[in-house]
Amino acid sequence: MSAEVTQAARMARVARTAQATRVAQTARATEAPLRRRDDGMLPGGAVLPGGGVLPGGGILPDDAVLPVLPPLRKLLPAGGLPRGSVVATGNWSLLCLALVAGASAAGAWCAVAGLPYLGVAAAADAGLDPGRILLIADPGPGWPQVVASLLDGCELMLLRPPDRPPALVRRRLEATVRRSGGVLVVAGDWDGAQIRLLVSRQEWAGIGAGHGRLRARRVQVVADGRGAAARPRARWLWLPGPDGAVAVADEISAARFWPETRSTG
Amino acid sequence: MTSAGGAARRVLVVWCPAWEQDPELDIRAFEQVVTVVEGFCPRVEVLRPGACAIGARGPARYFGGEEALAGKIIDVVACLGFACQVGVADGLFAAQLAARAPRRAHGGRSGRAGPWGPGRAGAPDAVMIVAPGRTPAFLAPHPVGSLGNPELADLLPRLGVRTLGEFAALSAAEAANRFGLTGALAHQLARGLDPRPLVPRPPSVDLSASVAFDPPAEQAEPVVFAAKALAERMHADLAARGLACVRVQVQVICADGQEITRLWRHDGLLSSLAVAERVRWQLAGWRAAQDARGRSATAPGQLPFASEGLQVGGITLLRLVPDQLVRNAGRQLGLWGETAVDDRVARAALRVQAMLGHDSVARPLLAGGRSPADQVTLVPFGDAAEPLYPAGPPWPGRLPAPAPATVYPVPRSAKVTDESGAAVTVTGRALISAPPAWLSAHGEPWLAITSWAGPWPVTERWWHPASSRRQARFQLVAEDGSAWLAVVQDGQWLIEASYD
Repeated sequence: MSAEVTQAARMARVARTAQATRVAQTARATEAPLRRRDDGMLPGGAVLPGGGVLPGGGILPDDAVLPVLPPLRKLLPAGGLPRGSVVATGNWSLLCLALVAGASAAGAWCAVAGLPYLGVAAAADAGLDPGRILLIADPGPGWPQVVASLLDGCELMLLRPPDRPPALVRRRLEATVRRSGGVLVVAGDWDGAQIRLLVSRQEWAGIGAGHGRLRARRVQVVADGRGAAARPRARWLWLPGPDGAVAVADEISAARFWPETRSTG
Repeated sequence: MTSAGGAARRVLVVWCPAWEQDPELDIRAFEQVVTVVEGFCPRVEVLRPGACAIGARGPARYFGGEEALAGKIIDVVACLGFACQVGVADGLFAAQLAARAPRRAHGGRSGRAGPWGPGRAGAPDAVMIVAPGRTPAFLAPHPVGSLGNPELADLLPRLGVRTLGEFAALSAAEAANRFGLTGALAHQLARGLDPRPLVPRPPSVDLSASVAFDPPAEQAEPVVFAAKALAERMHADLAARGLACVRVQVQVICADGQEITRLWRHDGLLSSLAVAERVRWQLAGWRAAQDARGRSATAPGQLPFASEGLQVGGITLLRLVPDQLVRNAGRQLGLWGETAVDDRVARAALRVQAMLGHDSVARPLLAGGRSPADQVTLVPFGDAAEPLYPAGPPWPGRLPAPAPATVYPVPRSAKVTDESGAAVTVTGRALISAPPAWLSAHGEPWLAITSWAGPWPVTERWWHPASSRRQARFQLVAEDGSAWLAVVQDGQWLIEASYD
């Protein structure tokens, strides 16, 4: 009887320790890339452009969430892009690139389909690794199959659908995304998207009537969606900031970036 | 002085001026010419890119004379898109000179002109044939510089010997005494006695492997299965010669004569399984293309995923041709600075390439250059390339950060007017006619311009007419918050990029 009790107690203890270890490991796995990214942050929430975020090809942590740039974290309920989800961004804009930049810098491959006019320099400034981008300028009429094939290999898929897909095709692709564990970012509308991000307002800074130049853009991004993302969230961001990187727009950074916007010629 | 021993070697030289005029031209392209010439005589000596030689006696007898042979060769080489000249003479040296002789000046002096008059299209007198035994007479007026010996070419004229004829007039013993061994050999050349026989390259070995299906294979599966065994055979064949191939050409021939050929490239050696997989993709991609053509109306509604059946009477032949052979020296991955392509990613990219074509999947390379479109070079997946404009050197006048998120591969037309509706123009001294007030990009509705900057003049590569560019840049912000990078070039407004 007492032997049985001690046996049960030991098993319970072993189980507890194992669980604690697992939790600690998961925490470390999520923390590790984030902590390193925080090191790359500038005061004011800006992130160093390009490879400065996380040099080299890091290995993606095998969690349920792909990392995003720190300024975007508060917009997403999970603090990142949930694997297997579809994110719609209304229109093609730098926001699409900023969304995938964090995961790309952390080592994910990003396939871009249907966007022949993607500015690769802007993507690199936002934090994407150009060495891990595949560009498919024109996926053609069979684009759903192209997207499905690419999702087999790439964690991130940036897509501008050539036409509005019928519900059947849409659901099949959503199933493919779930199965592959990647994230599909759609530059356009997508009815079943888990998360929807929109640029609601934007204003450019640094340029006047005949003087100055475009330096940075302050945008208000509104996020809503389904489930945990249903509550709308809004944030002001520098998209892009003066060096092409993404940053949180608040009073301090505005004062730092805009000491004076005088004409230069 | 006739040729020694009466056994004059008749040599035919084919000379393509294209390789001499353009050193950038791919040397491998000359291989096509050599292959064609090999069709006339298998023993071809490649002298240098752009020139090759064959023994003329045998083929001339078969094709009905030297003129007919030369004419046939010129016709076939012209089919490849290259101009060439042919010279026939006793010995390689004289034949080379005959092939390269400027046609108008020498036409019909010592040789016979070609059998066709100037009316013939393409090559009025591309053939020069020096009759047997007339070689010394043909050589005589050539300058000593054509011997190809810079020392003699410098020395002989100073001694008053300017042409090969004058040099040949010296006695052989004197030439050998005064100019040594090289002089003696040069003297022989000048007399039309070519001591050097042709050194043909060994005939190339067919390294391809093929398998025929009888009866034709209706399903893809047996073809893919055969491809595996075939690839093993090909690899064993290559390995026995110490070779490896960078690319494999897969050729599938159907019963109705249709042919599906595609080149597959891989950084490492393609294993037999990998080759079989590519054959499967190729067949699937081809089938998908056929399906799309067949039922284009309903195509977007269905994912044409599986089903490997084939129509068109089945497949009769599968052939694997190794391409771009290299010495098999193993492969070392770079330690730094090379993004190794994940196998999973490579497979996905190759699948898409099988569906849409090799150029459909590209990897971007950041480059230098001033306009945003210059700053990226797209390289098809699997190829290696250098950016057109190197990123290293500074590019004064390049567009300052932030970079535009949308860069149009081809600039879009636009209209920009001032308050009164007149088009805004820029003078040669970069002065604008009036501040821009209205913008219509690519035929879209007019937008009021709230702020703008420019003009920033850019004059690029004025020394190179094909890529030179003279434009004035503007940044325009419209009332809806959209920002544009516009340029004025040749009086036209163009939208190069937009800051979306």
